[in-house]
Amino acid sequence: MASTTETISTRTITTKRNFESYAYLFMRLSGIALLFLAVGHVTIQLLLNSVHNLTLQFVADQWSSWGWRAYDSLLLILAVPHGYNGLRNILEDYIHNERLMRIISWVLAVFVVITVIWSLVAIMTFPTR
Amino acid sequence: MASIAGLRTTLVEGVRYRGNIGHWSWVAHRLTGLGILGFLTIHVWDTANATFAPHIYAWSIDVFKHPFFGVGEVFVLGSVYYHALNGLRITLLDWKPEWWHHQNRSAWIVWIFFLAVFVPAGGYLLIGIFTHCADLVAEGASCWVLPSITDYPADAIYYE
Repeated sequence: MASTTETISTRTITTKRNFESYAYLFMRLSGIALLFLAVGHVTIQLLLNSVHNLTLQFVADQWSSWGWRAYDSLLLILAVPHGYNGLRNILEDYIHNERLMRIISWVLAVFVVITVIWSLVAIMTFPTR
Repeated sequence: MASIAGLRTTLVEGVRYRGNIGHWSWVAHRLTGLGILGFLTIHVWDTANATFAPHIYAWSIDVFKHPFFGVGEVFVLGSVYYHALNGLRITLLDWKPEWWHHQNRSAWIVWIFFLAVFVPAGGYLLIGIFTHCADLVAEGASCWVLPSITDYPADAIYYE
């Protein structure tokens, strides 16, 4: 495909600071963090370790360190909202009924909060012996 | 009802649109994102059982050693790698709009980087599945048998 323009002109515009602009910013910032946290997590747990020698003992050994608890907590707090906001963005492309979309968004938001709190409590209260 | 675009229309038009390679990056980014989200939701609630219901967690991680889940794991690994690389590309091009004339090349670079990382990593995981099955066969067992929840009593001790 032949390019018709050599340079791309840009202009600066000011956008409203609303929920969508913060959601956009969150996707970019959490994305950069997940680039290390999520890629690191799957590489460590699937490649360096393996599901074939995963036991509760392995989890207990890892969570005996507060560093791993912090890593897993941060990954949880960033990945779950990133994923469900992404799902909301996809659904918005196909669902044009505003009322329905608002209901779905709230249901997703509540589910995100419950999931994060439940799992955060699990990580933090895991009994070490 | 006109408020929800038909699933068939969505799927057909999603493939028909000829937006060059960037179109396939967009399709792959969505599919890998949805795939990761599905896995993530199950994984997070399952891992919480390590604290709240250790015997259910102990059972579930043995279920996940089945080759069926092993193949799913290859998809998860590939999805995370692709979504991360392409997400970085989107973020960079959003951050520097004047780089947009590199968008076609950048989409190719992401696919090449992805394959360079994923092919050996995915191959390694597949070998791991075969090794696991071969080890079980050598012990007179089978990797195709799913563990039964009744073999994981709630009052047993699973770690020290």
